[in-house]
Amino acid sequence: MPQRAMLILLILLSLSLSAPVQAESAKQLIRQAIDNYRGITSYSEATMTIHRPDWERVMSMQAWTEGLDKSLVRITAPKKDKNGGTLLIADKMWSYAPKINRVIKIPASMSNQSWMGSDFSNNDIARADDIIDNYTHRIIDSRLQDRVKIFTIESVPHENAPVVWGKEIVTVTEDHVFLRHEFYDQDNILIKTLTADEIKLIDGKRISLRQRMQKNGRDNEWTEFYTTLIKFNIKHDKNTFTLANLRNPG
Amino acid sequence: MRSLPLITSLAWRNLWRNKRRTMVILFAMVLGVWAMIVTAAFMRGMAIQMLDDTVNNLTGHIQIHHKNYLDDPVIENSFFGNDTALLNTLKLPDIIHWSSRIRVPAVISSERETRGVVLLAIEPEAEANISFLKNAITEGQYFSSNDENGIIIGKKLAQNLETRLGKRVVVMSQNTKNEIADSGYRISGIYDTSGEGMETDFIFITKRAAEQLLDSTGLSSEIAVITRSLDTVLSVQKNLAAKNPELDIQDWSSLQPYTKLVVEMYSDFQYVWHLIVFLAMSFGIINTLLMTIYERTREFGLFQALGLKPGFILVQVWTEALFMLTIALFIGNFVSWLTVMTTGDGIDVSAFSQGMELAQMSNIIPFVILFEDLLLANIIVIALGLLTSLYPAWKASQLVPADAITRI
Repeated sequence: MPQRAMLILLILLSLSLSAPVQAESAKQLIRQAIDNYRGITSYSEATMTIHRPDWERVMSMQAWTEGLDKSLVRITAPKKDKNGGTLLIADKMWSYAPKINRVIKIPASMSNQSWMGSDFSNNDIARADDIIDNYTHRIIDSRLQDRVKIFTIESVPHENAPVVWGKEIVTVTEDHVFLRHEFYDQDNILIKTLTADEIKLIDGKRISLRQRMQKNGRDNEWTEFYTTLIKFNIKHDKNTFTLANLRNPG
Repeated sequence: MRSLPLITSLAWRNLWRNKRRTMVILFAMVLGVWAMIVTAAFMRGMAIQMLDDTVNNLTGHIQIHHKNYLDDPVIENSFFGNDTALLNTLKLPDIIHWSSRIRVPAVISSERETRGVVLLAIEPEAEANISFLKNAITEGQYFSSNDENGIIIGKKLAQNLETRLGKRVVVMSQNTKNEIADSGYRISGIYDTSGEGMETDFIFITKRAAEQLLDSTGLSSEIAVITRSLDTVLSVQKNLAAKNPELDIQDWSSLQPYTKLVVEMYSDFQYVWHLIVFLAMSFGIINTLLMTIYERTREFGLFQALGLKPGFILVQVWTEALFMLTIALFIGNFVSWLTVMTTGDGIDVSAFSQGMELAQMSNIIPFVILFEDLLLANIIVIALGLLTSLYPAWKASQLVPADAITRI
């Protein structure tokens, strides 16, 4: 989920706290940040708008997360997709289709395919935890805007990292709100951009409510994720992140 | 028998009585013989090339697998390819090369696309001896050692993935612990084969790189074996199978039944093709002979009136046909030989290359004349030619002298 992606990016931002630019300390800081987020739980409600030149589709969903490893997303509208969902546990991903009453494990071969028809790939949603070891992170810019320090971080994947991008550039504020995530190919051509705005203070955390994934060069094609409600530090049911719960919405 | 010189000289002279007609029928027959031999050579070439390609395209002559591998080609169904007992059984004089591989389904992704492929992890030196890969590299380089960490992919796959030499791609597969394994590799080589199917299906890394990715140290999915010649394949296969009963050991004909079928079909189709061409030719022969007989009706009547036996006339007409057939065969064989010699490597069918690539065939098809094919064509023409000319000859011998002489 973008929610999850957001958390990861929040982590990246903590780089920002590390004014020293040495890669080693940056890496350590990310690790600390991940540890920080390890305990966080959340419940949120959101709408996802998939926009295309000749049509648009809006879905509503609920999401539960626990740390970085577990998340469950359930669709509440439109009616024909209601109760469909996705469960993520570590790097495993399952999808439930109510129409055929089947839980499908998303195979690795589908990881680059689109998630529920959106501009997010299954990969965007599922894989984020290798962020420490797979990249070399570097702060390439920092500036002050509206009295908030904003950092731009360039993350270049290692030679054998399972990452197709040539580099990723993330813009984050010093208090862990990411603003922009750009994905470049290996010729440094921009492929897609995730942008975030409408930053609000919720439960003592500043987070962005609106995130949009846009493929470069296709202005009329984007997916927007708008968080309508979010609560942190919720105690989840024991069986929240189980296949049974994915299949039988309580 | 004493009349033999007479018969032959009569036949020879009669043959050239109407030069133009004889030349025309000879031309038709030469064309027929040429079509038979060259088509046979073409089909032979196609079959041999297809077999070569199949053996080259990773099949080899014989393959060794885990018993369940062909049904379910995953990493679990592999065997210890370094096992000394197994390697000792491969020390046969008839085995000239062998190479051990890991071959598993995988997924390859670039920034823009993802494709399902077959991942082949090879031992570069051994593999170079037995498969097409080393010679098919058009960009970049073949692996120089087992320690290299690059990836070689097909030209068409590179196009599909919108990537190119020197770029990184991500390969995903399942490791021996049943978990998803993935790693990035830089494209170090791009290969181009005549079959596009190959190019999109197979990606290559070194066996050592695969051992890191799949946690498969010592394991092999298959061992491909090349024997000294096609004739020794079966005996080597039986030998290996007897010594390694726990493994699945098959030869190319059971691994690639389609190739076997096509090779056999080409061979059998020759007979059909020869008969079709000959059928067309035989009408020409009969017609020409009937014509010459019709023209010489009075002459035959006179011969008989002077005391020549009907058998003599039959043999004389038959000899005429024999001369015609022999000349046609002689020229036909020569022209065919000339055709094959002048085309050198074979004929270029690249105008149809797209279709040919789909059928996994090369753009250049060599002519291959086998002595047995040549013999078959010649025997068919001579034997069936004499058989068909028997009718006009017999007809000539059955003329009634009194009628024949009086006919204008």
